[in-house]
Amino acid sequence: MNNINDEIFNKYLDKELNREEMDRIKIAIENSSELKKKYEALLSVNIFLKNVESESPSTDFTKKVMEKIEIKKASAHQQKYFLFTILSLLGLIVCGITGYVFYETITSIQASETSDLVSNYSNSIGDYFSSLFGKKNLSIFGSVLSFIMLVSGYFLYDYQKYSKKNFSH
Amino acid sequence: MVMNNLSDVEIIESVKKGNQADYSVLIDRYKNKAFTMLKRMLKNEFDAEEVLMDCFLKAYNNIGTFKFESKFSTWFYRIVYNTALTKLSNSKRIIESEMSSIDDLHYLQSNYNADDFIKADNSLLIKKIVNELPPKNAAVVSMFYLEEMSTEEISDVLQISVANVKVILHRSRNLLRDIIEKRNLLQEII
Repeated sequence: MNNINDEIFNKYLDKELNREEMDRIKIAIENSSELKKKYEALLSVNIFLKNVESESPSTDFTKKVMEKIEIKKASAHQQKYFLFTILSLLGLIVCGITGYVFYETITSIQASETSDLVSNYSNSIGDYFSSLFGKKNLSIFGSVLSFIMLVSGYFLYDYQKYSKKNFSH
Repeated sequence: MVMNNLSDVEIIESVKKGNQADYSVLIDRYKNKAFTMLKRMLKNEFDAEEVLMDCFLKAYNNIGTFKFESKFSTWFYRIVYNTALTKLSNSKRIIESEMSSIDDLHYLQSNYNADDFIKADNSLLIKKIVNELPPKNAAVVSMFYLEEMSTEEISDVLQISVANVKVILHRSRNLLRDIIEKRNLLQEII
């Protein structure tokens, strides 16, 4: 009887003992008022915990979560468009630089090695980019590009901060 | 109404297909029990609601990675438990991990004197004691009794052994029993 400790009582309560042990504990509880009192107290705790009802968050909780999900979805779309715009701009710049390099390469090849048509065509493209990236315009173009990059970076950072704030509140 | 009869798996599949609104059914299904568990762990209603919202957003964002290998409840409660622990550690509160003996819980007994039990509604007082259990004990008791999860499922959520879950559960019960016995509350709570 003395070797019935708390652990065994808990296992008895959860029906985790084998049939023989269950019977032994049952008899011991029936024959000892002290053990009976201990077991009934444990049983009452078990019943109490089973009957405790759960509590609820604020009444509009579900609505709030769904709104946050909506906001997140919308911001993800906006972010996608923003990135697309920036990448397009960068793509155009890369195309311009490639064109310029292409023109320089073509002009360095002797005219006899290329057909007139290709030569004329590449010359006209080359002239366009040459004027665009000419010594005069290059510094202006670089400054404008740097400015655009800085402004875009600032807005991107600001937008990320705003989105994060929306989620945390 | 029809959505409420669907299983978690069916709702998740629907959400994955793009029916975002169906996620509200899952929220309604789990919010109360998860909120109770969080309130017991964080000891604060405001924090509990904030963390719960964060958990539902995390679950939504990662629902694409849910592979139906476990129950949604197990997966979701793991998010809830880990987010609560992060919140606790961020708040620099002491996280009570597994306790080496029942003595570690005796501070709870000493917090209540006989007069408290005479003045207040006994069941409310015991509820208050349950709410003051250390975070891990509170989580185990909540999942076992409120969510009716098995010790195996709880061990999966907490990433500890089944034996450890049982130890935590038994110690929590023993503590409450000791308090009830000391205050002669047996008749009142049955």
